[in-house]
Amino acid sequence: MSLLENIKQDFNQYKEQAEHDAFFETRKHAFDAFEKLGFPTIKNEEWKYTNLKPLSDILFHNTCVKSINTEALLSGSVLNTITANRLVFVNGSFNESLSNIIEKDKSIIITNIASARKKHQVIFEKHFGKYAKTETEGLNALNTALMSDGAFIHVPSNKIVEHPIVIMNVIDASEMNVLCQPRNLIIIEKQASAKVIESYISNGNNASFTNVVNEIFVDEHAQLHHYKLQRQTGESYQNNYTQLYQEANTTINQVTLTLDGTMVRNNLHFYMNGENCNSLLYGLYITSQKNHVDNHTRVDHAKPNCFSNELYKGIMKDKSTAVFNGKIMVHLDAQKTNAYQRNQNILLSDEASINTKPQLEIFADDVKCTHGATIGQLNDEQLFYLRSRGIPEHEARTMLLNAFADEIAEMIKIPELVALLEDEISNKL
Amino acid sequence: MLSIKNLKAKIGDKEILKGINLEVKAGEIHAIMGPNGAGKSTLSAVLAGRPDYEITEGTVTLDGKNLLEMSPEDRAREGVFLAFQYPVEIPGVSTTNFLKTAVNEKRKYLGLEPMEATDFLKMMREKMEQVEMDKSLTSRSLNEGFSGGEKKRNEVFQMAMLQPKLSILDETDSGLDIDALRLVSNGVNKLRSKDNAFVVITHYQRLLDYIVPDFVHVLYKGRIVKSGDKELAKELEAKGYDWIKQEVEAAN
Repeated sequence: MSLLENIKQDFNQYKEQAEHDAFFETRKHAFDAFEKLGFPTIKNEEWKYTNLKPLSDILFHNTCVKSINTEALLSGSVLNTITANRLVFVNGSFNESLSNIIEKDKSIIITNIASARKKHQVIFEKHFGKYAKTETEGLNALNTALMSDGAFIHVPSNKIVEHPIVIMNVIDASEMNVLCQPRNLIIIEKQASAKVIESYISNGNNASFTNVVNEIFVDEHAQLHHYKLQRQTGESYQNNYTQLYQEANTTINQVTLTLDGTMVRNNLHFYMNGENCNSLLYGLYITSQKNHVDNHTRVDHAKPNCFSNELYKGIMKDKSTAVFNGKIMVHLDAQKTNAYQRNQNILLSDEASINTKPQLEIFADDVKCTHGATIGQLNDEQLFYLRSRGIPEHEARTMLLNAFADEIAEMIKIPELVALLEDEISNKL
Repeated sequence: MLSIKNLKAKIGDKEILKGINLEVKAGEIHAIMGPNGAGKSTLSAVLAGRPDYEITEGTVTLDGKNLLEMSPEDRAREGVFLAFQYPVEIPGVSTTNFLKTAVNEKRKYLGLEPMEATDFLKMMREKMEQVEMDKSLTSRSLNEGFSGGEKKRNEVFQMAMLQPKLSILDETDSGLDIDALRLVSNGVNKLRSKDNAFVVITHYQRLLDYIVPDFVHVLYKGRIVKSGDKELAKELEAKGYDWIKQEVEAAN
């Protein structure tokens, strides 16, 4: 059985229960779109360097596998040491007993999608499916058609979420191959503020394909810190689509940390729908073995007087490969746009490779935009300088790589996450 | 302390050091002078263990230990210190963190416990005062955005922190104005003792007005062709290098 047959079978299961499922119409609509669009292939310019073909022969199970090891897995995670609101999903299903909401203000909703669909129907329907496109993006359509569960966060106007919200996705492939479709919806109303960590870890040696869609809406004068932490092990494939839609006078600080995973494809899309928006996009990918990471980002400057700054850094070793494709789109009306974009890479082996493509498309005539990419190695002069002071080579390399990653680490406002990153860098060498 | 015998080194196919002999005892300062391209910087790089060079012949020992077999970090931990002609900037590495790592790595090598944070900071303060290093420099990334003079002072400060047996100053005077030169020299002079030694590599005599050598050697075409005391440096300053070159050519 192929992946496509798998998917059809899974969809048929929903079909059988259609009469009990108010959501089925949405699923069906999305499934039709998926059938038309299918999986992207390397003939698609946007997927030129990321081939999903290896996925097609894997037999997946969408059925929720109950994991026995989740608790142990979680206790070993650094995110468990942070004082935070926690939503735990195991293979896409909500695990209520491992989740814990510590926020005292009950007007702040931190829950799972499945229950929000019923309990917070008005807000849910106002925002769900409004930002992530299904008509043109096959994998988004697939997610909508088969979505299991995910986080639902609603921060009402003028509220500040005191502690970070951790969306912890555990993929347990210890028993069988896992296919799951997490779906998160985050709504930050006017003058509200939150910090969200979206995290992926995994367990087991079977294959997994995690196809995520995040829809994030940030209303006027609101602020969001959004951290994505990807460190799945084993034979893990992830497609992660994140659409951020921001209104006037908002600031979004987004940091994507890809530290492991057989194949990770991120699609990060900012749309600035008002003036005086700040969009900050930072990323760090550390790749090894034959792993592959693809970061596609797009920033739409649709209105004047907005600022965006993007910096993605890569450290690659062994035979790993990476892709960076960043597009800044400055619309006709978006005068006085300030947009900056950089991609910097360090290759630690002769066999690692990166395809990078920083892009600007500018239709306004009074803007300030820069973009650029660099690919290099660790600087021998710096290495020798450190060694000549008695610092061993391994330590010197770690210091230099940490220094390289420092610009990204600085953007992370949660110290435990920064510490995790530093550990990860020294472990990776 | 340092014993160099018939040292030959090349980079690629080009032989640069063609048989150097030099003995340096504890408490001594040796100046190595010479025209451009004589091999001065190569000598300092080879002693510190820069990987670009291939040693084809000869030996270098520090207190009887074979330096040439050691990695650059082990040489440093044995007590060799190279003050770079062009110290590199390392953005993102804090000067304090760097020095703490370096000091503790050396201690580990010598079988000592790492320094307590408070002791380390106290030592930093003392050494900063000793070599007249501006405190604000240590809170910045290593050499990042430092002026030429600040970089050289930072080298002397590191020397003070690491307390090497043998310090090699590679054209420390290059690019320094007279005030900076005086500050750097004062720092070095304060670090002199009967137990350590200095090899001062320079093109010009002016540094040697401040750091007064016991011996002066002239390096030319990869060999030491003349040795003397500090008067030799003054003679070179007055007459240039041409007469040395002529002497060498005549002898050949």
